[in-house]
Amino acid sequence: MSDNFIRAINADEVAPGGMKAVELDGNEIVVCNCGGTYYAVQRRCGHMNAPLDMGTLDGTYLTCAMHCAQFDVTTGEALSGPVPPALGHESPPPMMVEYLKNIDMLMKDVRTESIRTYATKLEAGWVQIAL
Amino acid sequence: MNAESRKKALQYFFEKVVGPLGFKFTPDTELKDFLLEQEVILESKHGIPFCPCQPIRHDRERDMQIVCPCIPFHREHFDAIKRCWCGLFVHKDVIDPDSLPQLPPKEVGLE
Repeated sequence: MSDNFIRAINADEVAPGGMKAVELDGNEIVVCNCGGTYYAVQRRCGHMNAPLDMGTLDGTYLTCAMHCAQFDVTTGEALSGPVPPALGHESPPPMMVEYLKNIDMLMKDVRTESIRTYATKLEAGWVQIAL
Repeated sequence: MNAESRKKALQYFFEKVVGPLGFKFTPDTELKDFLLEQEVILESKHGIPFCPCQPIRHDRERDMQIVCPCIPFHREHFDAIKRCWCGLFVHKDVIDPDSLPQLPPKEVGLE
């Protein structure tokens, strides 16, 4: 991994348990504060590219807000895929049923990939990230 | 996806839920490991870590009541037998999980 660290964000800007998206040299990155230890991962979800900073961080586990795929921010490893949607009790209209069938067919081939991680270091109150 | 990593993550999330409910993971580590593994398999198939010892009926309302940890949905029963159905969770004061009888709701005065 590169040791070319770039100043990314002031450490105070990310509260413990929080996340913040930054863009460095065209790379979209999420900085995660896991109880004072900072991790950096790619911003796009390994499932369907949703922005991961919109999700939730619990310990070192990041859950995507779009389909609830989960990742470990320390390794970038994908831990689970999407959670099936709840469509409620009422049957959707027939046109919607066809549409959902097509979506379902497409989704079956969508894999949840692990996400990229970046090395971080804390220096002079700044989180620095190696690209 | 790696089953061991997922088991570790499920354990982390479940502990946060069952602790305040007065439950803990069974001290039988072999059983705990086995049941968590089954849940990982169920999750990879259905997208949800269902209880490994309950049938999935494809009735969402009913199926949501067997998503692990299902303690809040069956609290009275589990409190009476000091364990959940599969034995993954036991009351915090339980030392020997094998001594706990697995009684149906009727036998503990429920239903």
